Amino acid sequence: MTQAERERAYGALSLARALDERMWRLARAGRAHFAVPCSGHEAIGVGYALAMRPGVDWLSPHYRDLAALLVLGMEPRDVMLCFFSRPADPNARGRQPYAHFGSRELHVLSQQGPQPNHCSHGVGCAWGSKLLGDGSVSVIAFGDGGAQKGEVHESMNVAAIHRLPCVFVVHRNGWTQSVKRSDQYATEMLVARAAGYGMPGIAVDGMDVEAMYAAATQAVERARAGDGPTLIDAACVRFMPNTSNDDDSRYRDRAEVDAVRVKGDPLVRARALVGADFAARVDAESAAQADDAAEWAEAQPLGDPATVADHAYA
Amino acid sequence: MPNTVSRELSVVEAVREALAQEMARDERVLVLGEDVGKLGGVFRATEGLYERFGPQRVIDMPMAETVIAGVTVGLAMRGMRPVAEIQFADFIHAAMDHLVGEAAKIRWRTGGDWSCPMVLRTAYGGGFRGGPYHSQSVEAFYAHAPGLKVVAPSTPADAKGLLVAAIRDPDPVLVLEHKRTYRAIRGPVPEGEYVVPIGRAAVARAGADATVLAYGMMLHESLAAADVLAQEGIDVEVIDLRTLAPLDRETILTSLAKTRRLCVVHEDTLTMGLGAELCALAAEAGVLDVPPVRVAMPDIPGIPVDEVLEDALLPNRATIGDALARLVARPRSHAGGAAPAAYDPGIPQASSIVEVALPVEHTRLAVDALAAAVRAVPQCNATFAWTGLVAHDEVRVDLDLGATSPASGRGTITLVDYGPAGSDLAIPFVRPGQTAALRIGAVHDGRAYAACAVDHRAVDGADVGRFLAAFKTAVEDGR
Repeated sequence: MTQAERERAYGALSLARALDERMWRLARAGRAHFAVPCSGHEAIGVGYALAMRPGVDWLSPHYRDLAALLVLGMEPRDVMLCFFSRPADPNARGRQPYAHFGSRELHVLSQQGPQPNHCSHGVGCAWGSKLLGDGSVSVIAFGDGGAQKGEVHESMNVAAIHRLPCVFVVHRNGWTQSVKRSDQYATEMLVARAAGYGMPGIAVDGMDVEAMYAAATQAVERARAGDGPTLIDAACVRFMPNTSNDDDSRYRDRAEVDAVRVKGDPLVRARALVGADFAARVDAESAAQADDAAEWAEAQPLGDPATVADHAYA
Repeated sequence: MPNTVSRELSVVEAVREALAQEMARDERVLVLGEDVGKLGGVFRATEGLYERFGPQRVIDMPMAETVIAGVTVGLAMRGMRPVAEIQFADFIHAAMDHLVGEAAKIRWRTGGDWSCPMVLRTAYGGGFRGGPYHSQSVEAFYAHAPGLKVVAPSTPADAKGLLVAAIRDPDPVLVLEHKRTYRAIRGPVPEGEYVVPIGRAAVARAGADATVLAYGMMLHESLAAADVLAQEGIDVEVIDLRTLAPLDRETILTSLAKTRRLCVVHEDTLTMGLGAELCALAAEAGVLDVPPVRVAMPDIPGIPVDEVLEDALLPNRATIGDALARLVARPRSHAGGAAPAAYDPGIPQASSIVEVALPVEHTRLAVDALAAAVRAVPQCNATFAWTGLVAHDEVRVDLDLGATSPASGRGTITLVDYGPAGSDLAIPFVRPGQTAALRIGAVHDGRAYAACAVDHRAVDGADVGRFLAAFKTAVEDGR
C-alpha cells in the first residue's frame, strides 16, 4: 500500500468504527430498532473494497461490511437513514432493517435476511459481467456461519465451473451468533475448501488491512483476467454481540474478546501505519461525522402508510 | 393476435418456439437448467437452442435447484433476461427461498430501485405414471406469494404467448407447464411474435348454467365433461384461468354473475388449494345462488405410480361431470336459496301502513314493540341462506337512524327511523338477505305512521297486517 492508500484505509476504518459505536448506543437507548456491529471486521471490507473499482465492480456484501460501503462511496447520512429505517434510505427505503445494504448507484446488490442467499445472486451478477464482457468483477462476502449452508457450496461450484469473475470472501470470526466454531465446522479454517472447487484459496489475517488489501488485489486481478474465482478466508474477531438483540455473555467470555482488542484491533494496528497524529485528527472528524449523520437522519420523516403497497409490482 | 399464419403445434413445440423467438429478438435472454443443452431438456422444450445460440446462452447447470434459482435472480438484477428451467415442479421447493423470499420481494424491499425480471419454467402435473416425485402440482405454494406472478397455460397458443409475456415482464414470473399437455394437446399457433397478457383469463366455452374454473390439463378434462353434459341439456361455461396470480377477477366474476354456480377443478390437493381462494372470491362477491363445488386431488401426500390408484385420485372428465351434475341439481336462491347482494327489483314485495300513537322520544319503545311483533309473525325475523330460509329466535335489529347512523346490515330485521328529519310516510326497502323492514315517520301531535315492507317469498301479504297490528298494540301499551 502507498502511504496515501494507507491514509484512505484508515479514514474508512475510523469512520466505520465511529458509526458502529453511535448505532450501538442509539439502539441500546431504544432510539432505533436494530444494530449490527462491525467492530473487529472493518479491515476485511476496507481491504477488498480498496481493490475494487467503485461504480464498475459489483458487491454482494456481508452484513458486517459497513466499512466496504464507505470505501465505495456510501455517505454516513445514508448509513444512518438505513439505521433509522427512514424512507429516504437508499439501501432499503425503510422497508428492511439496518445492514440490509444495497445501492444501484454504488453497484451494491440489494441484500436480504436469510443468510447468505446473496452468494448465488453475486454469482449471477458475475455471470452477467462475463456475458456482457464489461470486465467488471463481483465480490461476494459472507460469514463463516453462512458458509455452512448449501447455498455457498452450490454458488462456489458454479462460479468455478464457468470461471466467473468473482471473489468469495468469508469473514471467519468463529461464531455463528451463539454457536462456536467447532459446532459449525470441523476444520480450523475454511480456505482448504477452495481446492475442492478447483479455485485458489488465500488465508489472511482479516484484521490486518494491508494483508487483506494484498489478498483482495491478487484475487480481483485474477478474476478480471478471466482466470476465475478465488476464496479468501479472512480471520477476524467479532468484538461485539451478534446484534443489538444478542447477549453474548450467555455463551462466551468477554475477557477473551477484550484481550484480543488490546493488540489485535484492526484500527489500533492501522494507526501504526499512519501515525498517531494523523489518526487522532481522522478520529475526531469521524466522530463529528457520525454525530451529524445520526442527528440529521433521526430528524427525517418516517414512511407514509399510503405508500406501503407501492412497488409490489412494476 | 396479429395477422400471421397459424399452424398446428403441440404445447412443447410452442414453448420451444417462444424461447427461440425471444432469444433471437433479445440477446439478453438466456436459458439455464438441468439438461437444457445438448439433450434439449428432458421434455425437449429447449431442443435446438444449444445448436443455434451456443453454450454461452443455453447453459447446462449442475443438479442444484437452489443455485439455478439464485443465479437467475442475480442475472436478472444485473440486467439480463434469464429463463431458468426446473426439470420437474416436484424439485422446485429447493428454489423456493430464492423465488418467494428473494425474487418476489426485491422490487418492494428496495422501493423500486431494483427489479428481478426473471422467468422460471417448470413441468408439473400427473397422469403419466410418474409417482409422488414427478407428478405434483405446486401452484398453491407460489400463487400465495405477493410479488410473484404465476401462469399456467393450457393450449399451445397460450403456452407461446404467455411465455413471451413472461420473458418481457419486468417482474418475476413462474410458468407452470402441464407435462401431459406437452404432447397430448395440439392446436393452432400463430407463427410470428405475439403476447398473451398476464392476468387475463379466457372463456374457453360459453354457457349459462354453471361456471367451471380450470387450467392446465384439467381445462381439457373440464371441456370434455361440458360436452357430455351438453347432450343432457346442461349448458356449462368453462373459464381457462391461464394466470393464477394475479387472478383475473373481472372475467371470473362476470361469468359467475351470469351462471351463479361455481365448480373449481384442480389437480393440486384440496385443502388450502387454489379452489379455496376462488370459492372465497365468489362468496365475498355474493355471486353464487348455491354452494360451490371443488374437484381436486384428495389430501394425500403423494400421487401413486400404480395406474389404477393414480386414475382413482386425479380429477377427470367423469368426476368433473358428476360434480357439475350435483351442482346444477341444487335449487337456486329464488326458490329458497341465497338472496342477491343488492336490492333487486325482481323480488316481489308486499307492504302495509298503520297509524300509531307515539311519543317524540320512542327508539327503545319501538325496538321493544318490534320484538313483540316478531313473536306474533316469526317469518318477519328470518334471513336467506344457501340452505333456504332460516328463522331466528333472537331478534337483532338493524337500526337505521339516517346518514350518520346507518344500519349495520348484520341484523335479522331493519327498523328505519329518521326522527323529525324523516318524511311522514314512505315504504322502506327490505335489506338484502332479510325478510322485513319497518319504518316510522315523523311524529305530529303524538301520532306517526308505521310502514312495513316484506319479501313476499317469505312473508304472506296478510301477515304484514298482523305484524303491524301487533306492533301498534305493543307500542301503545308500552307508552
